[in-house]
Amino acid sequence: MKYRITHETTYHGDQPVSVCHNEAWLKPRDTPFQCLEDHQLEAHPSPTSLNHRRDYFGNHVWAFSFNRGYDKMTVTSVSEVTLCERTVPPVEQTPAWDQLAQTLRTPTTPADLAASEFTFDSSRSIGLKPLTEYARKSFPPGRPLLAAATELTERIFRDFTYDPRATTVTTPVDEVFRLKKGVCQDFAHLQIAALRSLGLAARYVSGYLRTRPAPGKPRLVGADASHAWLSVYLGGGEWLDLDPTNNVVPNLEHITVAWGRDYSDVCPLKGVFIGGGRHSLSVSVDVALIDPQP
Amino acid sequence: MPPNSPSFDELWKSYRSLASVYDEAFASLGTLRPHWADLRDGLNGYTLDEFTRRTAQAERFLNDNGVTFDVFREKETQQRLWQLDLIPMILPAAEWSQVEAGLDQRGRLLEAIIDDIHGRQRVLKEGLLPPGVVFGHPRFSRPFVGLHDRKTSSMIVYAAELARGPSGQWFVMADRADAPVGAGFALENRIVTSRTVPQLMHHQPVQRLASFFQRLQNALKELALKRSDNPRIVLLSPGPHSRYYFEDVYLAGYLGYTLAQGADLAVRDERVFLKTLAGLLPVDVILSRGTDRGIDPLELGGNSLHGVPGLLQALRQGTVSLANMPGCGLVEAPVFMAFLPALCRGLLGEELQLASIATWWCGDDAARSYVVEHLDQLVIKPAFEASGSEEIVGERLSSAEREQLLIRIAEKPHAFVAQEKITRSAVPVFGADGKLHSGHAAVRTFLVSDGPGYRLMPGGLTRIAMTPDPMELSISAGFGSKDLWVLSDGPVDQVTLLQAIDKPVALRRSGALFPSRVADDLFWLGWAMERVDFLARLIRAVAERLTADPETASAELPTLVRSLVEQGQLEPGFAVEEFSSQLPHLDKALPHAVLDVSESNGLGFAVAEMLRIGSLVRDRLSPDTWLTIHQTCSDFQKTRSSDRTDASSLLAQINVLIADLASVSGLIQDGMIRGPAWRFLDLGRRIERGRDTASLLRTVLSADEIQNRAVLRSLLEVLDCRMTYRSRYLDNVQPNAVLDLFITDETNPRSLAFQAIAIADHVDALPQDSSSPLRTEEKRLAMAALHAVRMVTPQQLEATGLIDIQQVLSDVDRHFKALTDLLQLRYLLHSGTPRQITGEGDVFA
Repeated sequence: MKYRITHETTYHGDQPVSVCHNEAWLKPRDTPFQCLEDHQLEAHPSPTSLNHRRDYFGNHVWAFSFNRGYDKMTVTSVSEVTLCERTVPPVEQTPAWDQLAQTLRTPTTPADLAASEFTFDSSRSIGLKPLTEYARKSFPPGRPLLAAATELTERIFRDFTYDPRATTVTTPVDEVFRLKKGVCQDFAHLQIAALRSLGLAARYVSGYLRTRPAPGKPRLVGADASHAWLSVYLGGGEWLDLDPTNNVVPNLEHITVAWGRDYSDVCPLKGVFIGGGRHSLSVSVDVALIDPQP
Repeated sequence: MPPNSPSFDELWKSYRSLASVYDEAFASLGTLRPHWADLRDGLNGYTLDEFTRRTAQAERFLNDNGVTFDVFREKETQQRLWQLDLIPMILPAAEWSQVEAGLDQRGRLLEAIIDDIHGRQRVLKEGLLPPGVVFGHPRFSRPFVGLHDRKTSSMIVYAAELARGPSGQWFVMADRADAPVGAGFALENRIVTSRTVPQLMHHQPVQRLASFFQRLQNALKELALKRSDNPRIVLLSPGPHSRYYFEDVYLAGYLGYTLAQGADLAVRDERVFLKTLAGLLPVDVILSRGTDRGIDPLELGGNSLHGVPGLLQALRQGTVSLANMPGCGLVEAPVFMAFLPALCRGLLGEELQLASIATWWCGDDAARSYVVEHLDQLVIKPAFEASGSEEIVGERLSSAEREQLLIRIAEKPHAFVAQEKITRSAVPVFGADGKLHSGHAAVRTFLVSDGPGYRLMPGGLTRIAMTPDPMELSISAGFGSKDLWVLSDGPVDQVTLLQAIDKPVALRRSGALFPSRVADDLFWLGWAMERVDFLARLIRAVAERLTADPETASAELPTLVRSLVEQGQLEPGFAVEEFSSQLPHLDKALPHAVLDVSESNGLGFAVAEMLRIGSLVRDRLSPDTWLTIHQTCSDFQKTRSSDRTDASSLLAQINVLIADLASVSGLIQDGMIRGPAWRFLDLGRRIERGRDTASLLRTVLSADEIQNRAVLRSLLEVLDCRMTYRSRYLDNVQPNAVLDLFITDETNPRSLAFQAIAIADHVDALPQDSSSPLRTEEKRLAMAALHAVRMVTPQQLEATGLIDIQQVLSDVDRHFKALTDLLQLRYLLHSGTPRQITGEGDVFA
């Protein structure tokens, strides 16, 4: 499956911006099941400096600045990505969740040590008592991790309502839990916090989702959106993605861009600017399937 | 010498310390330690009266130098003056070199830990630290990873907080690596002590402190050597609202570095620059005096005033050096103390020489059980915050509090450590009652990176508590302090950074570099002062008429009220409604509107701005000027609280304000050096005065009230020209003469012509790009305004309708407005506040 993803961000200010520094997590990383074929980042006006680096988690980061001022800035990221089928281990072969949690407390292998980093609270995903109690219902002692984790994903899908107006990017997890509403980012943070509060390792995945038009309707270009889900550590260096917004185990329709402890590690585009007056931002994302062959 | 004043000798006889503690001065009751003998002899040379007098003198020194914490607290009374006991703490050379060896090792160890955590993470892979200590550490900032693999030291300055236990052994109570403070206070203590009681020091070989600061200068210079032979080093301060701003200013001056705040620095093409009026100047080394948490708002988020967007990328590119490197703050967390012996063996291959206070991390099951069982003997702290934020003394807890604490520990065990409670050593303290008391000493020591290791300041900061309880570890905790004398075995090194007092200096006309931010603040301070003055005069004219006998009809009142509406000080309704019906309402509404600080065109706001901006540029103003600004504004703001204020009480308040403001202007006019600081302040004032005057005249002209003698008289009153007018024309009030006085008279400091001349003069003096032979745009604007008023003819001032004059007023205002914008853009705007682009616009499926 090959996709072309076009992600365009535009900033307007009612006064000129004099200086702006930015960082973008827009270039998809390679994974065992994903290959980045092509990637272009374009900015208008053209930036006075542009740099690429890898962050702590191995994601691609573009850093760019504008010194000469602008009224409007557009950043367009175009990526072509090929996905292949992921293998999901049989439920019974995954370790008992409590045993894995114990291992992660005192990791002995490099893989477990690296995963243990994702068992701790992070700024956007903080475990709280009511959430732990909620999660625990799916985690009786000795239950295979995969069974428990997918059940929790399903419960979040069932118990929470998708509502883009209920939350913003800064709404904390406890608020989402109280409202029982939110968007993909909220549900991902929520399940991450729940898993971590049980001692498990979970990371935030930022990416895109292939969207299908309603039957009989054409696909609307640019109407797609950034998506977010999570990954849970299965032990032995293996991770498995879970998407609580859609209650699926991501496979051929989820394109990974970056992962981190939570949204703040992999925010698609952030920046600091001087000037600009009142400013506004608009984002358009288009996920086009350009080759359905596996 | 008064014969009845007892000698100091008497005091030693009654001095007693707790039997269970180590006494710094006495080996046992009555037996002085040998290294205190010279000091005692020196002290005995004073009578009690004399020593008390000198103590007061030391206090005056400190006060005059402004040695305080929280200098910009709202109330002067909340500032805490530094307190100094003239009896020093003394340590012999041999003991000190042991401390130095221990702290040198500790400095190397902490630096190795910092570098490793932000690099290969061997400490985790080899099990020297549990993962939770690193991965669960809220101060472990992932963007700092990779910054530490350079050849230069990550941790240039380091401070350790020491205590001596009952056995005489020294313990480290806390480590400070994220911009440690206190070295400047130690230096100030030394200077004041040696000035006030010089005889004491003459008796013995006390090591000088200057060598430490010289090493610091060398270490910072070395950071830049690869890039520049003559590096530009700035001291980055969190700003006037920081607790330690005094020390920032003091050290910048002493070390000879430019004092900068985050807004003074800019990153362009991955290089750091200092924004000055003369343009951007490259910076090679930054000595940061604030926390690394917000050091780069781009990568770390937040709106820290201390931060510089893009700084981390510049560090990665190696175009600038930062002391200390971001990430050093991590090791301040007391959790590390539980692991230092093993880390020292693992990373340095050495045994830890200087012990930390015994520390248990509750994230470890065995340690937690110990803590729960021995809670009464321990002090509980957050594991990951620099010691000092929260300290819970186990034995002081009620049973309910104890239960609560145990629940908190059980929920997040890894978030807590417990430490042994020790009683610090005792030292003699000269009390306000003229007696010697026994106090408990906390010693803050300072180290600077020197080659592969660390060198210790031969001295330090001794803080004193009068009770044996655990002491707060922050140096601003409000205890008294002492100088720390380290004796020398050999002759004392005479190094000093202070200019020799008997040598003339090279003469100069300008001071240190002038950052754009300061120019910006001064410009707006000038604006605010003028705005306050103008509004206050206009409001006074209205308030006086409102409180006058209602029988005396005041024909000018509607026009004056209309002016206040045009200025944005009153609701538009007051100008359009039937006027007489508004009057009773106005009596209440005016004071309310005037005192409302949220109305950005009103007097309350302008006063608040004057105070706020004044505080930001306090170190550019004379102490008297700042004090007067502070009093003027805060006195006025006190009226805010009472809401029963009517026009007559407002009037009294406004009169005070106008008089107070005049003394601020007087101090500036009389005392401020005619350099760029004064020019920007005056530009702000002149432009605002010109625009206010033009606006007032336009209101009168457009209301067609220029022939109204009562209105003209009130204009003369508001613009403070009654005396001048009367001296020229007696009581014959004519529009052309009034307009001449306000527009074309170049001798009237309130006329448009006067402002335009002053503005043109300031603009001429601004630094500028000399590449074009023609005049700059700001010069052309200033000249256009001046030209417009100078071209006014007597006929135009007499013409019916005064159409030309209206045009002149509107032109001048337009030029002044354009000039303000241009000055912002050219000199000031790049000092605007950085803001975050947030992800608010992101759409998530």
